[in-house]
Amino acid sequence: MNTGLPEMLHCLNSSTSENCEMSVLERQRSRLKQQQQQLSQNHPPIPYFNGNDHLAYSGFHVDQALSDLVLNGGAMKPDPGVEHHDFRRFMNSGSATTDFQMSSALPRTVSYTAAASVNSAPGKESCKKRKADRSPKIAAEEKKMKGCAEEESKITEQNSNSKSTTTTISTSANKNSKGASANGKKASDAPKADYIHVRARRGQATDSHSLAERVRREKISERMKYLQDLVPGCNKVTGKAGMLDEIINYVQSLQRQVEFLSMKLAAINPRLDFDIESYILKEMFPACPPAMEPDHSHLQFNTSVEEVSGSGLEMVVDPMDATLRRTISAPITAQQSFLNSSSLNQIQQVTWEDELRNLYSMEYQQGRSTFISQQITGFLEANHVKLEM
Amino acid sequence: MAESSNSDANSRKRRKIDPDSQTRWRSEAEQRIYSSKLMDALHHVRRPGSGGHDAVRDAADRVLAASARGRTRWSRAILTNRLSLRLAQINRKHKKAAKPSAGKSCSRKPAKKLPPVESKVKVLSRLVPGCRKVSLPNLLEETTDYIAALEMQVKAMTFLTGLLNAGAAAPA
Repeated sequence: MNTGLPEMLHCLNSSTSENCEMSVLERQRSRLKQQQQQLSQNHPPIPYFNGNDHLAYSGFHVDQALSDLVLNGGAMKPDPGVEHHDFRRFMNSGSATTDFQMSSALPRTVSYTAAASVNSAPGKESCKKRKADRSPKIAAEEKKMKGCAEEESKITEQNSNSKSTTTTISTSANKNSKGASANGKKASDAPKADYIHVRARRGQATDSHSLAERVRREKISERMKYLQDLVPGCNKVTGKAGMLDEIINYVQSLQRQVEFLSMKLAAINPRLDFDIESYILKEMFPACPPAMEPDHSHLQFNTSVEEVSGSGLEMVVDPMDATLRRTISAPITAQQSFLNSSSLNQIQQVTWEDELRNLYSMEYQQGRSTFISQQITGFLEANHVKLEM
Repeated sequence: MAESSNSDANSRKRRKIDPDSQTRWRSEAEQRIYSSKLMDALHHVRRPGSGGHDAVRDAADRVLAASARGRTRWSRAILTNRLSLRLAQINRKHKKAAKPSAGKSCSRKPAKKLPPVESKVKVLSRLVPGCRKVSLPNLLEETTDYIAALEMQVKAMTFLTGLLNAGAAAPA
């Protein structure tokens, strides 16, 4: 797209109705240029650039070339035709004469039909597939183009053809540039050899609605792929309905887990608050300095969420740290209490106990002040492995 | 993944959220932040005695939504619509007590759209908060982020439960 921008700026100088086509084709031209510099050398553009004085002559010359193209049909390759035509338009952007542009409009349409007829001759490869691969930006451009084309009634038909050609050109160009991006999306297998020979497909592909649908379907399938990676067990089921079932089940199970855990936490909370109040009286001051940061985060959280009934206990976190530190210092009791906690057994995942036991045994050896974060890190790493299963 | 960015006109409006969601919610920093914030929130939750677990759950969800930094629709919905959601829940409970299933089945019997995909999409949209009238591609995106966030929430809450269990039981 970036390569097409300077050309687009060129096009802005010329008349508006032809801008849209020209912009797309300018982009094509730049792409084709990148890919086929040999052909461009074969047909030297230099004479075309020599000032505006010779425009009429050179345009005439090109018209002749285009008429040759029309007459010869498949004899001439469409690419040089496109090239000629692109260069001529490039020249046109420099000149301000509208007459010349109007006169060149006709040959342009002629060349479009010629290109279309030429391309349809070798065989109608389905454009459908390439639409699927096409990036949505081209869809947007084509829609724009179609909108522009509606201003000129005489070019509408040719525009539909040209759109098909442009899409095929662009998709083929995209294919070449991107490589092997999903050639097998549709049933029809286009030969992978030579995409510069534009193959037009009339009908379905040119409809802007189907283009939009195609884009939408691509988006949906892409998102479904992400979900497939995320939801375990989604790989076995294919098809939207099955995957959606899995996704729904998974979300429901996760929400249920959250419910259970919140019930557990609610059961634990009252006990904590009793302890906390006692700790506030006893142990507040020694625990102050290391716990300044949690206060900040918690104050921010308070401001953001107003529904939480603000109790104003700002030093609550410190007693929490104190209790946790105390648990570390009393290894045996912690383990025993943990093992004896009946509430924990209600959870199906008995493995959590093992993990915590390991974690506590780890922590005894380290005994650092920032053990909370470490615990969380280590524990959650282990949990991560478990949850993945 | 380069094609995850859409057309130029849209790329400015859209943010690349699909590849980021998993990495974001699974990062340890995020889990740490969530756990600490959740602990803070839990201390502020006044257990009214009844519905204590609902309050905890709401607090957890709110913290989760806050961690999302408002980039996703479901997080914004949770943060802004908590009151209306709670009211809806209460109403639903009352309705459940009054009319067990008659009302619901009557409204669902005239099935306009048979495609099972459509009905499942609707169910999914009801599950993800704030995504009832969202188009399918956006819904899937929100679901991706929501699932990743929920996983993190479960992990963090499990961990906290274990910690607090041990912490509360030991000094007692």
